[in-house]
Amino acid sequence: MDNGEPLPSFEGIAAAFAKAKAEKEKQEAQGLKPTTGDAAKANKAGEVHFKAAHGIIIAFFTWILVLHALGIYLFTSGFLLTRLVLDHTSECSVPPIDSARSYEYGSAETGCWHPKSFEKAIVILVDALRYDFTVPFPAATANETTHHFHNAFPVLYETAVNHPDNAFLLPFIADAPTATLQRLKGLTTGTLPTFLDAGSSFSGTAIDEDNLISQLHNASKRVVQLGDDTWQALFPGHFEPNLTRPYDSFNVWDLHTVDNGVTDHVFPLMHPSNTSTWDVLIGHYLGVDHAGHRYGPDHPAMNAKLNQMDGIIRKMIDQLDDDTLLVVMGDHGMDTKGDHGGESDDEIQAALWMYSKQKKFGRSSPDYITPPATAHERPVAQIDLVPTLSLLLGMPIPFNNLGKPIEEAFIGAEGEDYENLAIVNRLTGAQIHRYQNEYALARGVDDSTRANSLALWSAANAAWQMVTSQGHYRSIYGAFSAYQQETLRVCRDLWARFDVLRMLNGVTILAFSLAILAVYARGLEGDRSELTPVLLMYGGVGTILGAIGGFGVAIALPELARDHVLVVAAAVGAVFGAFAGYWYIRRRMTSPFPTTIWGWMSVVFTLLLSIGFAANSFTIWEDEILLCFLTTFGVVATLSSFRQKTMADRALGCYHSILFVLLTRVASLARLCREEQMPYCKSTYYASANSSTSATWQIAIPYVVAFLLPIFIRGYYDGTLSYQGSAVMWLGFALRSGLTLCAIYWTLDAADDGDWYPGLTDWLKTSKIVCAQVTFAIALAFGYSTFNWSKPFLNIENQLTNAANPSSQVVADGGRTSITILGYANVHGSRYALLITIWYLAIALVQKPMGAGAMAILTWQIFSLLEIIDTNKLSDSPIGPIVLGLLGSFHFFKTGHQATLSAIQYETAFIPLRTIRYPWSPLLILLNTFGAQILCAVAVPALVLWKQPPRKKGLLGDVAKAVATHVLFYAVVGLATTMWAGHLRRHLMLYRIFCPRFMMGGLVLVVVDLVCVFVAVGGTRISFLSVAEVFGFTG
Amino acid sequence: MSTTVIGAPAVPRAPASPINILNNGTAKLYTHLHPILVLSLYAYRWPSIVADPVPALTSALVPLSILQIAYVAICLPPTGGTASTVPQADKRKPGEKKKAAPSKVESGINGTIIPAFLSLLLSSLAAAPLLTATLVLFGAPMTTHHTHTVLCGAHIALLSFLPLVYVHGVDGTTWREVVALLLPIDEVYGGMIGSVFGAWCGAVPIPLDWDREWQKWPITIVTGAYVGYAVGKLLGGTLLKGKKIMFE
Repeated sequence: MDNGEPLPSFEGIAAAFAKAKAEKEKQEAQGLKPTTGDAAKANKAGEVHFKAAHGIIIAFFTWILVLHALGIYLFTSGFLLTRLVLDHTSECSVPPIDSARSYEYGSAETGCWHPKSFEKAIVILVDALRYDFTVPFPAATANETTHHFHNAFPVLYETAVNHPDNAFLLPFIADAPTATLQRLKGLTTGTLPTFLDAGSSFSGTAIDEDNLISQLHNASKRVVQLGDDTWQALFPGHFEPNLTRPYDSFNVWDLHTVDNGVTDHVFPLMHPSNTSTWDVLIGHYLGVDHAGHRYGPDHPAMNAKLNQMDGIIRKMIDQLDDDTLLVVMGDHGMDTKGDHGGESDDEIQAALWMYSKQKKFGRSSPDYITPPATAHERPVAQIDLVPTLSLLLGMPIPFNNLGKPIEEAFIGAEGEDYENLAIVNRLTGAQIHRYQNEYALARGVDDSTRANSLALWSAANAAWQMVTSQGHYRSIYGAFSAYQQETLRVCRDLWARFDVLRMLNGVTILAFSLAILAVYARGLEGDRSELTPVLLMYGGVGTILGAIGGFGVAIALPELARDHVLVVAAAVGAVFGAFAGYWYIRRRMTSPFPTTIWGWMSVVFTLLLSIGFAANSFTIWEDEILLCFLTTFGVVATLSSFRQKTMADRALGCYHSILFVLLTRVASLARLCREEQMPYCKSTYYASANSSTSATWQIAIPYVVAFLLPIFIRGYYDGTLSYQGSAVMWLGFALRSGLTLCAIYWTLDAADDGDWYPGLTDWLKTSKIVCAQVTFAIALAFGYSTFNWSKPFLNIENQLTNAANPSSQVVADGGRTSITILGYANVHGSRYALLITIWYLAIALVQKPMGAGAMAILTWQIFSLLEIIDTNKLSDSPIGPIVLGLLGSFHFFKTGHQATLSAIQYETAFIPLRTIRYPWSPLLILLNTFGAQILCAVAVPALVLWKQPPRKKGLLGDVAKAVATHVLFYAVVGLATTMWAGHLRRHLMLYRIFCPRFMMGGLVLVVVDLVCVFVAVGGTRISFLSVAEVFGFTG
Repeated sequence: MSTTVIGAPAVPRAPASPINILNNGTAKLYTHLHPILVLSLYAYRWPSIVADPVPALTSALVPLSILQIAYVAICLPPTGGTASTVPQADKRKPGEKKKAAPSKVESGINGTIIPAFLSLLLSSLAAAPLLTATLVLFGAPMTTHHTHTVLCGAHIALLSFLPLVYVHGVDGTTWREVVALLLPIDEVYGGMIGSVFGAWCGAVPIPLDWDREWQKWPITIVTGAYVGYAVGKLLGGTLLKGKKIMFE
């Protein structure tokens, strides 16, 4: 048949017809012949058809997004821990157990359950006061050097050593998550945080559990609060309105406003003439925390801040009166970069110091006078503060408290008042016992889990009944303390209670939606834009029917959780609908399993990565694994390029593949190590491992990028002579201006950070925000206008013949001259790829200087990938979208992120804004965190559009296929991390490793879904319509 | 590396055929003995490699080179030569004066030992640095452990590329086919692919937190290469012989 001879048979005729048809279509695809029929009318019909098909594809991916969201929601609601909040409150006149030493209980004047020790208290909370900030640094070994945070805040240690009867200093261990809001809850209620609370850190919600502040409030004590305004959100209406001074807590770049505010107001209140106006004074300093977030602990600013705190506390000691207790504490620590949120040692180890002019404190052993050298010795839990402070101030212990009284505060100055210690521990134990009984009644805890603690309780009480000697009290103290410890342990286990059914259903929904997506992406033949309407109809109808059915069930069986029933029913409907849809188009289905080496590579990369998330080591080293996979792809692409038949493909393919590998390796040099990677990893993202500011040389990176990257991108346009029209304006001018403004922004920021020009601080702040806002305007307003209204990047040139260029199209020969369309060879690709650069500019702004370099490399790599895919003819293969997924995940790490809560760069919210503003601030943080994944998702359609003929049929379907494959990658990773987090829910490393990775996996999936639907597929509508204006619509 | 002949597709080259080992008893025996010897050598050195990789891997290079040279000299046809099938005598030109037949030892040295040493030279001078660079690209430490990485590259080069250089010489076109995975599989080519693939798989256990000494760089990679070489050579010489790698 190849030699053109017709075969004298029916097959031959059919073959000839098919061949002619293919020939015609090919010519039409190249725009050589006008389409048959009434051109204008057909074109109009084509446009309507295109818009409809496009809208349906958008709707289909939105439906997939909904399925993902349902699955993640259901799993999350069962996985993130919940604790039943009892609304019981302790009452002054109702002690949990009969009184000891025939004490007359019930009077807040003398002490509700126990004689009080202090009339008043000043509680100073120094946010993020890590324990090692307060103890002298030994510098015992030669290879250790003092850091800026060492020996800067010695007053606490000095008083504890020199006046042990007046003061003590102890490590103060926080329960994760170490966010201030969670900590304040723990410090006032004495309860354990549950993971679900972690989500509410951005908007504080009032505490409705019994707590110390409301006890004080109910006892008509006047509580004054100064500093961090989180307290106002937690305890609305509890503070003296005319003395309280709350300050905005979220501007982490401001080190002094809050602190100066507290200091300015606390000393006048301590003046003898004013002490009668309040009973408890709470001062919350934020400077140390903000210095950590902004500079990291090892920075002169931290030293200055700690020194300032030292001076303030000394002054307070001077002015303190005899009846007042002074407490200084940290709510959590900070990691080596100054961030917190997780449960690493550095983050949970805070300091607690109590001081009084009266000799009230003691130690059970003279050895304990010197405060522990490290936080591993003799630590107390943060919840222990609650009963301690309650009893010292004569308040009832809050109902839900699980902490125990701190030994040093009750043992007496001689250090042998074990009777008192036994009494307070008995009271506390009794309250815990009462709480546990109520909780067991409300939640139905079976006695087997409580058997141990109940036995300890009986034993302690039996011992109490036969008190004989002072020595005996010591063992009673031990017995009640043991009961408290055991109960605390049981509660930790209990509140790690997962709703396994919800988790299973969530995972099942994710798994089925994955199957639906996998078949759509890889298991269908032909144009997806033809098949999507059927699938969407079946799937959508199924979802709605399911939801209606679920609604019915929820009404019929009200004892079931309504959200659970509705979600499951809607998802079951969706799955059945989708399967019915696939059954309807079963003739178009093929095996989704890979057949080529590229298909296998895609599957192996995705699966290996996903399986690896079951092991903490592979999760920790995800960045290196991604580097290895990407390099493998680049090397195989090089080998494949050597196999290409034409010289041009071979040379271009090799060049871009090798470039891709080299760029990957260069990008890999930007690292921000997570704690678990130590000591095998060296952070390079910031000036040093203990800092969160960029080094001076790093400021140069954005300038180099602004100069070079537009040139490089232009190179990719020049290859097909597509550097025409608006592309010149955008790439040559706007993009470069925007990138230069980014660079200027980060220079101004460094000047502001480093206080290079102390007189110009305000000017610097204003001008850098203006820079940032203008850059955003260039990217999103100007960029999108250009993208929306520009013509395809074509130019027509009259030239002498014999200048035939492979990348241009000769339309008509006019003897000696010919008309050439420049940029014809890559109309779709060049037009769409503009969108990548627009989003690149927006994302580049919110990355630190090192991240700007990484994002530039990513953009360069994306264009190289487009060439690799084109020269190796892989636009139909899954490898392109999968490699984009790997690239996005890889550069997530290269822009200074890790799958941990503490690695979130909250400060990016302030790049174009002065204050927190919803919804912009969370969006900016999302853009910073998932910038790489977002950029890669935007680039997906370019894979199938790069260098395709303008009128090629089924391009829209190809876009849908590529986007589905890309989402498939994240869906597999999301499902895997979800499954592993559920399966390993009792694992030691759950909160440190698996839970953050699951949260990241789920969030990335939803973000990529959204970007793919509304930016990527949405963007193709604009670029297709623009190309069709010139070339018309294909049938 | 082979762009010189690309532009001239006019003369179709005879499709490459898989390499057959020499057709004599010693070759047939030794080709199976060889991987066992190589692996035994590696297993024997294993404790010292784990204890201190650099000196142990360095000293292991010598016996490995000897074994590989012995293997290529005994079992494989040298480049361009068809020594196994065509008797030496037939190669003489018709009018050539009949020389005294070179002694067996002499012809052995000229025909096999010298090419074998040349292959050793080439693979350690060209392949080893290239492989080292590749290792760095794959994530080997860039600022430390240079000797480790170089030694790892050298071991893979000797295992995989020495026999390949011996049988294929330095012909650009052939090497393009080697790089493009276009050659039919035989035990030499299979050994090369196997050792590279094995080295890739050897990276898997490195991140695991088992705290074992053998997880040190680059022990797992070298081990993977050795095992991969033996498996690849075996499969390439038997099951997969003559098959071609298809990308699509």
